[in-house]
Amino acid sequence: MTATQASDAPAAEPILELDDLGVVFTTESAEVPAVRGVSLHVRPGETLALVGESGSGKSTVALAAMGLLAGNARATGRAVIDGTDIVGADEAGLAALRGRTVSMVFQEPATALDPLTRIGKQIAEVIRNHNDVSAKDAAARAVGLLRRVGIPEPEKRAAAYPFQLSGGQRQRVVIAMAIANDPALLIADEPTTALDVTVQAEILDLLRRLAAETGTGVLLVTHNMGVVADFADRVAVMYQGRIVETGPVEDVLLRPSHDYTRRLLAAVPRLSVAESDERPTAGEVRPDDGSGSGDATAPVVELRDISVVFGRGKRSVHALDGISLVVSPGETLGLVGESGSGKSTAARVALGLIPPTSGAVSLFGADLARTRSRARRRLRSGIGVVLQDPVASLDARMTVGECVAEPLRVHRRELSARDQRSRVEAVLDRVRLPRDIVRRAPGELSGGQRQRVSLARALVLEPRLLVADEPTSALDVSVQESVLKVITELQDELGFACLFVSHDLAVVQHFARRVAVMRAGRIEEQGPTGETLLHPETDYTRRLLAAVPVPDPVVQRGRRAERLATLAAGRMEAEA
Amino acid sequence: MSTPSYLIRRVLQAVAVIVIVTIVVFGLLHALPGGPARGILGPQATAQQIARFNHEQGLDQPLPVQYLHYLNQLLHGDLGTSYTLNAPVSRLIGERLPKTLVLTVLSMVIGLLLAIPLGMWQAVRRNRPVDYVITTLSFIAYSTPVYFLGLILILVFSQVLPWFPSQAPQGDSLAQVFSDPQALVLPVAAGAASMVAVFSRYMRAATLENLSEDYVRTARAGGSRSRAILRRHVFRNSLTPVIAMLGYYLPVLFGGALVVEQLFNYPGMGLLFWSAAQASDYPVLLGCVLVISAATVVGTLLADVVQRIIDPRVKAGRA
Amino acid sequence: MSTVIQPAKTPGTAGTPRETSGTRLAVRRFLRNRLAVAGLGVVMFFVLFCFVGPLVYHTDQTHTALQQVNLSPSGAHWLGTDAVGHDELGRLMYGGKVSLTVGLAAGVLATVVGTLWGAAAGYAGGWIDAVMMRIVDAGIAIPALFILLVVSAITTPGLPGLILILGLVSWLVPSRLIRAETLTLKNRDYVLTLRAIGGTHARAILRHILPNSVSTIIVATTFQIADAILLVAYVSYLGLGVQPPTTDWGGMLSAGLTAAYSGYWWLILPPGLAIILVVWAFNAIGDGLRDAFDVRGRG
Repeated sequence: MTATQASDAPAAEPILELDDLGVVFTTESAEVPAVRGVSLHVRPGETLALVGESGSGKSTVALAAMGLLAGNARATGRAVIDGTDIVGADEAGLAALRGRTVSMVFQEPATALDPLTRIGKQIAEVIRNHNDVSAKDAAARAVGLLRRVGIPEPEKRAAAYPFQLSGGQRQRVVIAMAIANDPALLIADEPTTALDVTVQAEILDLLRRLAAETGTGVLLVTHNMGVVADFADRVAVMYQGRIVETGPVEDVLLRPSHDYTRRLLAAVPRLSVAESDERPTAGEVRPDDGSGSGDATAPVVELRDISVVFGRGKRSVHALDGISLVVSPGETLGLVGESGSGKSTAARVALGLIPPTSGAVSLFGADLARTRSRARRRLRSGIGVVLQDPVASLDARMTVGECVAEPLRVHRRELSARDQRSRVEAVLDRVRLPRDIVRRAPGELSGGQRQRVSLARALVLEPRLLVADEPTSALDVSVQESVLKVITELQDELGFACLFVSHDLAVVQHFARRVAVMRAGRIEEQGPTGETLLHPETDYTRRLLAAVPVPDPVVQRGRRAERLATLAAGRMEAEA
Repeated sequence: MSTPSYLIRRVLQAVAVIVIVTIVVFGLLHALPGGPARGILGPQATAQQIARFNHEQGLDQPLPVQYLHYLNQLLHGDLGTSYTLNAPVSRLIGERLPKTLVLTVLSMVIGLLLAIPLGMWQAVRRNRPVDYVITTLSFIAYSTPVYFLGLILILVFSQVLPWFPSQAPQGDSLAQVFSDPQALVLPVAAGAASMVAVFSRYMRAATLENLSEDYVRTARAGGSRSRAILRRHVFRNSLTPVIAMLGYYLPVLFGGALVVEQLFNYPGMGLLFWSAAQASDYPVLLGCVLVISAATVVGTLLADVVQRIIDPRVKAGRA
Repeated sequence: MSTVIQPAKTPGTAGTPRETSGTRLAVRRFLRNRLAVAGLGVVMFFVLFCFVGPLVYHTDQTHTALQQVNLSPSGAHWLGTDAVGHDELGRLMYGGKVSLTVGLAAGVLATVVGTLWGAAAGYAGGWIDAVMMRIVDAGIAIPALFILLVVSAITTPGLPGLILILGLVSWLVPSRLIRAETLTLKNRDYVLTLRAIGGTHARAILRHILPNSVSTIIVATTFQIADAILLVAYVSYLGLGVQPPTTDWGGMLSAGLTAAYSGYWWLILPPGLAIILVVWAFNAIGDGLRDAFDVRGRG
């Protein structure tokens, strides 16, 4: 289903038509307009992607189209599905429509299902909401649906509870519920955002196949331009509650007309997939002036044969299984992997937050297990830390100034208040934050500002090692870009080494000189970034790279075909 | 964790808790000034008589020795002999405990049957008049001392309106207790009032929390109506945390029973404990507290097991 | 073990004006809760009534006046007189002082003990936590009224003793609450960050965990005071009350129990309603504070 075909086809009546839709939230302090004058339509068989950054109002549009807005929201305008206006419809009218004509797939598969009800029963509930069938027949149909969405052993799995399934399988169950009554319209709100990239590819394949089979129109809400390129026929770009640009996917992604779209696309980190691509500049050759004290060539941190086992006996989990890593002075090591691969655990072992079950950690040349606690604390003054969650990273009860000054209070107590203040101001300058931010509370800042405050706190002691665990993955791409840029520039200037943990291969490719790919507590392969991510040696890394959608619909179409061919070949090989 | 190994761990924890209870109560009784002799022998007793009593009861030995002796007795199922009633403590408690259990279990069941629907109703009608009214009544019920509530119940429903007797059923056997169900109404009502108050609050909070869960939105998106979602999904999900609280509420119910039994002259464990306290009958006091704590610990254990049955995640250690 | 967290989860609230101060927001939320504000009013009324009232409304609460016992309410004695001739309205002020003081002190004491115990257990973790929490379990398994009855049979404490005893039987619930809070807080990213760069445990507890528990502690204290005032009301009924001629509301109430059957309603309704109102008020305040601070606490 390509854009060309869609536009050539005789224009069918739209299954969804939004006309001047507006949504206003009543919060404790004010009336906040979230969506303003949005008009769009989705025809049967086509996919419209609604893209934008957080706060753009795209999810609100999706919920408004389902009549699922929160109690404090008020919708205006029209949202017509199959002739019924959702705005102002009563519960009976909505219930008759939902699950039959229109259904929805949500972002968070972990919480989207009732934890105490077997999945077969939850699917059967949707069937019986709209069909007068016996419980037995509904159960049988639920099993059929589970098979259709690719759950293995569907007869057995129908009796499973949601917690017994993986995230990807749960999302398949949510999709089974959504397609239970062959809806004319499917609304998917960030359906793959909470999933790993390989699972994301599988779920997108599934959605594409199901929509094609039944000619279902899809409204896909996403922030991920790769997903858009992979899936959409047309694109609508939202910014601050309005649609700023609409058009076929090739036009919008390759020849954007609106300034905001252009900026957004420019900020998306692109995975270089071929030698000919523009090579990433960051992390290439780093000036290593050996500014850190002590042995300048010894690794700043080294993990030797580290294993971490949580729990005991049968329920024990091998979070790390004999990994070895080295970060040399001034270099950036990217640690990539999917959820559960152990990459964050490895970072926490390096930080000394998780004691290894076996193996040795040495920090700045000293074996951590053999140093006294006082000396160990002094060693740790050479570390800076930035963690993922911008909200949880800063103590909401402190001012920004106190947050940034905290490492000074721990290690440089001899400094006068005035010296501390000048150091805090200097480091705030470095991360491009205004000095007067010191008196503000973290709660008043945006996510990007908070991560910069975290960075300032990490750098105030001028560390030799920065450990950054997914520092930008909770941020919008434009904000991510600016935060990464600050880190890169400061690294050039200050020469600290960096252990950079991320799930995002494109980001790591741009940011890290060396990369280690992790999977299930082991290191799959490691090497120079350019080499490893362009010519991977292991199947796993190859599959991982192939699953990353690139934000170019033409290239992505080729990559998808290639990936599916490889998968099919692999399956045939397995059968043979 | 598999069910057997889970049960073994929980039972070991329960035993540890009961041992700590014996230490606390034993220590408390013997740390307080006075000692039982004066209370048992009366104010006229001579120093010689007191010394003889203390020697006969082993009260002149060091506290740890006394404690180990008591623990040893306990392991043989012997709770000692009452100073005043001239009977083994285990027999006294054996006679009285079932009656107290009837009172507390009835209060608990009736309280829950009222509290759960009330709490859900409040959650659905959040911040509407009915929510405020029930909240206010709950707080009032919670804030009223049981003996005051019992007194008001007696004055209104026994004196002014002669509907129920002001005395609980008498007699030694459970059959006699159940032969006079009318007389149980006021004591059970007094015992259940704060139960209704507390658990309707819990249920309201749990329901509100569940109503905002994602799975409710999923069910709605599948075309389910609010009422059906409440019945099929929210009810069970809200009930699980509330059941977990039941075990911890048992001591409050037993405390209430102490007062209710005294007020309505119901010959259960509370009344036994009350008279033992007046008479400094240490073995009875110790035995009663021990049995009540054991009942609480067992109740908590049962609540856990029920939770494992309702919630498959608990069994898998995921919740 | 990071999960892939991405942006755009929140529904679009473009241009939400950010709240300037958490405290101000909490105050505003609290003031919008009508029950909580009513509770605050009731508490303020009773504090004035008990502590300022006697300065305006003079009565003799030390000497008995046997020529005027059990008088029904009249112009001279608005709430009548009790069995030894004390003016009931004056006695309500006089007894309220004791009830409020003991309740407040015992509630605060229970919260302080519970906070220290719970924070220590939660932060230490491991077997120390296990042992400390088993002790709490054991304490919870013994009904407080049973302990109070035993104590009352054996000894007669003064006011400080009473406060101590009440505090010591009611610190268990707050300790569980604070332990849960500490468990959450000690794994917050800012605490992990501090530990990673070599910050001490003391700093983690004093600068981060305790300050962030303040709202929870305040809410717990309010509920603890409510419970303590209620417990004070039981104390006299169990025979552990303060000695005459001093009294408290519970003492007045249990003294009036038998009188109630003779129709002397003015001897039980005023103290009974005073107890209910004040305990209700503290509960309503606690409820409002919990919602305003958005912390956990009892349902």
